[in-house]
Amino acid sequence: MTNIAVPVPIRVKQEKGANLRPWQRAFVAGSLTPIMALLIFFSVLPMVWVVVLCFYNFSPARAGSGFMDLGGANPFVGLDNFKAMFATSQTSHIFRLAFLNTIVFSVLVLPVNLVITLPLAILVESVHDRLKGFFRAIYFMPVISSAVAVSLMWGFIYHPQQGLLNALIKAIGLTPPRAWLTDPNASFLGVNLAMIAVIIAYIWQDFGYNLIIFIAALQGIPQEFRDAARVDGANAWQEFWHIIMPLLKPTLLFVCVMTMLSSLQVFVPFQVMTNGGPAFQTEVLVKNIYDYAFRYKQMGWAAAISMVLFMLVMFITFIQFRLLRSEVEY
Amino acid sequence: MATRAKSLAITPARLVHLGNRTLVYVILLAGATFTLLPFIWIILTSFKPASEIVRIPPTFFPEKWTLKSYQTIFTDPRVPLARFYFNSTFVTFMRVFITLFTSSLAGYIFCKYRFWGKNIMFVLILAQLMVPFQVIMIPEYLILVKLKLIDNLWGLIIPGMVDAFGIFLMRQFIEAIPDEMIDAGRIDGASDFGIYWRIVLPQLGPSLAALGIFTFLAVWNDYLFPLIVITTTEKRTLPLLLTWYSSQHSTRYDLTMAASVLVMLPILLVYVIFQRWIVRGVALTGFK
Repeated sequence: MTNIAVPVPIRVKQEKGANLRPWQRAFVAGSLTPIMALLIFFSVLPMVWVVVLCFYNFSPARAGSGFMDLGGANPFVGLDNFKAMFATSQTSHIFRLAFLNTIVFSVLVLPVNLVITLPLAILVESVHDRLKGFFRAIYFMPVISSAVAVSLMWGFIYHPQQGLLNALIKAIGLTPPRAWLTDPNASFLGVNLAMIAVIIAYIWQDFGYNLIIFIAALQGIPQEFRDAARVDGANAWQEFWHIIMPLLKPTLLFVCVMTMLSSLQVFVPFQVMTNGGPAFQTEVLVKNIYDYAFRYKQMGWAAAISMVLFMLVMFITFIQFRLLRSEVEY
Repeated sequence: MATRAKSLAITPARLVHLGNRTLVYVILLAGATFTLLPFIWIILTSFKPASEIVRIPPTFFPEKWTLKSYQTIFTDPRVPLARFYFNSTFVTFMRVFITLFTSSLAGYIFCKYRFWGKNIMFVLILAQLMVPFQVIMIPEYLILVKLKLIDNLWGLIIPGMVDAFGIFLMRQFIEAIPDEMIDAGRIDGASDFGIYWRIVLPQLGPSLAALGIFTFLAVWNDYLFPLIVITTTEKRTLPLLLTWYSSQHSTRYDLTMAASVLVMLPILLVYVIFQRWIVRGVALTGFK
């Protein structure tokens, strides 16, 4: 399995015949120049630029005096954007809510996702091949569906009167919540109900991905290992805990990191299902960036929030590197 | 005979085993129901008349099946559906084919050639894997403004023509192609591009399929990038059409759900056909 976030050790290949022939050099240069130019122009340059922008009070609506509209009407403000994150204004308050909500969302999504996908993968792996394919195909269906359509769909399911969920809850004789997505006072175990609703919809869409990864990893565990454990008298639980889990550790780490990274970047359900509400209870960093950059045109401030998001992403990646270093592959 | 009789005997251990098997299937079926129910619910909803949708409590199966919601969408002059399908298809196919080409070509060169600056360039590519689009979308937008590519379908294609992950992935797969094969091509007088095109590419089948399918899904379903690039109605892609349409008819769930079904339908058909490839591709690449 190739890992996106972990650059595997790169072996520099020593081809025989060190120097390229002139026509080979022309081929390499002719092919790589446009490719690297596009990469630098649309990936490296934006990264540098967003770092520059977060030190400016920049709006695309104002024409600046200097390079790329910086300076003049879009003045350099030093660390003001970052200082503002700790200020008492409404904007700063919303940012801090978005930051906390992003963390809450990621921290809750990860364990719930794992508790569903890991046991489910073991169950799917234990059934007959044909049924295995059948269940895998069904569980993966939400992953390939349009996130916008899924968000609209769940928005309707959560509808207090016409929705499927409350109808089901009433049908089994319980009292459903007054409103899933719009009641600012509703919460469950200290988490706002709207946030829980988004988490459920997001996990519904996303769990098939981790499931497939786990199933692939389980298939990679040699049957002999399990047989050996059985011969030694291990029961199913011991086999899982002492044989499968240690072998699954690298996959588990990969899945944890990928799930964390992608849940930090979620936008669609927060925009389409709840629009950050009620009372900013589902406002998250990406939505905050989008709103301030493209609706209120405060791109300097939004760039500073982007840097906060980037720091979170780097932090998770850094932890992964540290954990991997102590990891021994089988 | 004796062994056969023994194998049919009902022992306590066998009963426990049978009970366990049953429990496994019950859990798997419950999971499948949970996964499919929302899909079934919106498909059924899209066939209900508007009067039935607002009824409390809601019906599950339509009492009266109707195609009214689909007719309303198809005949709405503000919703030229064919146009939106074309926009999404055009952007997606361009992105898929260009990404496959640039990724495999660059992957081949990084894998099989030695040249000045190679390591620095490859580290630069790897570094891009750590930067989410959401972090750099503001400058991305400003660059497109400068290039006058805002509100242009090419604005959705050109920034995505080179994919760092695709290059990284292709390089890994090309590693498995033996150097001898490339040397053999060279001896037969093939040009460098000829070797890439006629020897390397044909062997990349499954990995190209995996990368292609995932680029397809990512671009087809993408919402945030078109949202900041596209501004006029007739250039919208399907996800943009869907949010716009639902905002126009926020209380008409029959229309919104029918539109959602129409947007999801092509991708579900693709999934039914390529299901094996798609699932294998995830396992193969860990791509998301």
